Amino acid sequence: MSAVEAAPRVEGRSNRGSTTWMVVPALVLLIGFFALPYLTIITMSLREASTRAVYGEGFTLAHYTTALGDFYIWGILGRTLLIGATVTVISLLLGYPVAYHLAKSRSRWTSLLYIFVLSPLLVGLVVRTFAWMIILSNNGVANQALQAVGLIDFPLQLMNNSLGVTIALTHVFLPFVILPLLGNLQAISPDLAMASRSLGASRMRTFWKVTLPLSMPGIQAGTILVFVLSISAYVTPAMLGGTGGRTMSVLVVQYLVDNFRWPAGAALAIIMAAVAVIFVGLYLRLTARAMRRLP
Amino acid sequence: MTALTIDRINKRYGNLHILKDISIPIGQGEFVSLLGPSGCGKTTTLRCIAGFERPDTGRILFGERDVTRALPEQRDIGMVFQSYALFPHMTVAENLSFGLEVRKVAPADRQRRIADVLAMVRLEGYDKRYPRELSGGQQQRVALARALVIEPSVLLLDEPLANLDATLRDEMRFFIRDLQQRVGITSIYVTHDQAEAMVMSDKIVVMNAGTISQFGSPREIYERPASQSVAGFIGRSNTISGKIAEALGQDGYKVETPCGSIGATGPAGLSKGAEVKIMIRPENISTRSQAASGHQQGAGAEEAGSGENVLAGSVVNSVYQGSANQLAVKLGSGDRVIVDVNGRNPLEVGEQVALRFAARDTWLLAS
Ligand SMILES: Nc1ncnc2c1ncn2[C@@H]1O[C@H](COP(=O)(O)OP(=O)(O)OP(=O)(O)O)[C@@H](O)[C@H]1O
Ligand SMILES: [Mg+2]
Repeated sequence: MSAVEAAPRVEGRSNRGSTTWMVVPALVLLIGFFALPYLTIITMSLREASTRAVYGEGFTLAHYTTALGDFYIWGILGRTLLIGATVTVISLLLGYPVAYHLAKSRSRWTSLLYIFVLSPLLVGLVVRTFAWMIILSNNGVANQALQAVGLIDFPLQLMNNSLGVTIALTHVFLPFVILPLLGNLQAISPDLAMASRSLGASRMRTFWKVTLPLSMPGIQAGTILVFVLSISAYVTPAMLGGTGGRTMSVLVVQYLVDNFRWPAGAALAIIMAAVAVIFVGLYLRLTARAMRRLP
Repeated sequence: MTALTIDRINKRYGNLHILKDISIPIGQGEFVSLLGPSGCGKTTTLRCIAGFERPDTGRILFGERDVTRALPEQRDIGMVFQSYALFPHMTVAENLSFGLEVRKVAPADRQRRIADVLAMVRLEGYDKRYPRELSGGQQQRVALARALVIEPSVLLLDEPLANLDATLRDEMRFFIRDLQQRVGITSIYVTHDQAEAMVMSDKIVVMNAGTISQFGSPREIYERPASQSVAGFIGRSNTISGKIAEALGQDGYKVETPCGSIGATGPAGLSKGAEVKIMIRPENISTRSQAASGHQQGAGAEEAGSGENVLAGSVVNSVYQGSANQLAVKLGSGDRVIVDVNGRNPLEVGEQVALRFAARDTWLLAS
């Protein structure tokens, strides 16, 4: 009895042993470029401020207590999360139908749609953001068009606020929700939908009961990617956000570069990272419940 | 009354003509197989019946009801797939419940019907398992149960056994056939395995390149194939070329061949002088060593009036197959004939033999 039980365990251990070395390069990379910089920032955030050097001699928690006691910073943190959540939800709502269509379609136009989907990633970040400035500014393309049709009399405030940042970020990060979803949806056998229809379920019911639950892993991966990328984006909010659309990353860079307050800026960065980890962790728990039954 | 009528349907993909004027009448409770080589249009036909494809022309009737334009969910079908297509995020019970919930069957009723059908496929106690926790054969039975529990008017099966190993496949053939007969459900079964079609079906539709080569009972198709391609596709067969010399009554003929004159059976109405092929199944030929029989080599053929034919030849190959020996015999005309003989009494390669077969065991194919 015990011999029978022992056998697979031995095998499992030897398997693990033989492949351990394969993670070494990734581990080195991770420690060198991820853990070490983070450690540096954490230490920096605990240093006293100094006017003569990047940071002073002693250690302190003051930067954290000041930041957490500052309503202005709470406001910006809240706005950053709100922008992240909005971008994520809109990307999912826009991206799901596209991924669904791409996964099903066998037409030769599909490759064109593919290129269209990837296009935001094919244009440089700064160029793309300038394009949005041209479109969204007070006398930009969007406002002129709306005035020309007579929908509005005065230009709408489309940039230098959260709205402009949200629009531009959604545009860039749409592919990040579409691609994981597409992979997921393509892996679902079309037989399943047919089986559902043959059992009498309408297209709608088939989608809600079969396709959607099975595409949860793609939804999870895509939304996490977009959320994390959105709340940490810098160039887009810096160029389009102005003061009304300022986010945490913009604030951090402002602390570091403009005000030369490295320890305080580092503390803000760590707070932001911690909040992101907490949100993603909560989200993972929430979605894991929905995916509990998947193979 | 026909339970299902397929009436001259045509289907094209672009300029590929996939189904050409397919008509199949299917009686209530019948088990009909669609049999044919890969790509001949079996799945397409089944998908037209299920409603996943719409034929370009033609009609499909369930009983009296024209369903040609109905959506799959409006057709009242049960479907079993080669991939099983069980919902991976649902337990066995939930998979079975799916179609009942759509039909708004009351929960108590639902449970009773699920338990009944699980008993029928011998999977009692498996209701809480997920599909991934079942073997291939068990998954197949769940798929069958899921299609049957909704008590559809037609059961459609697309190569449901193709993913199973040989032993299990044999077992499942009888299992499905038995279940189908007990439930009495009209069934359409797609396969490219002729043995499967033979043992399971009431009727077989032999398809080839989008057309129906023959529609009939397994016996008709085996013994009286409509063409050389059907004869070649169903079981093993030998053919000897010849010309009709004389018609004898309804379906008897005398055929002139290079081996002499042979008495044969064939479809009515073959005219004198027509080129034909005489088909003989290997198991219908008996052999005797030439030395023992009194016939001379090369002498052909029909023993006057008896309906028995005797041909002489020499053994060129002998393969031991356990239950029988398969001999290849070269006739005087140069044709090769495959013969099954008793395994205990093998004939040597090179030996002269007399082949004997009855006229009623032959069938004439137009060539
Ligand atoms: N959506 C489609 N577009 C174009 N051609 C198709 C499509 N579906 C099937 N075909 C073609 O139709 C023909 C018949 O296909 P079908 O799937 O009915 O064959 P089958 O008899 O089921 O073959 P198999 O035994 O391999 O399953 C094939 O030549 C196939 O290439
Ligand atoms: Mg097929």
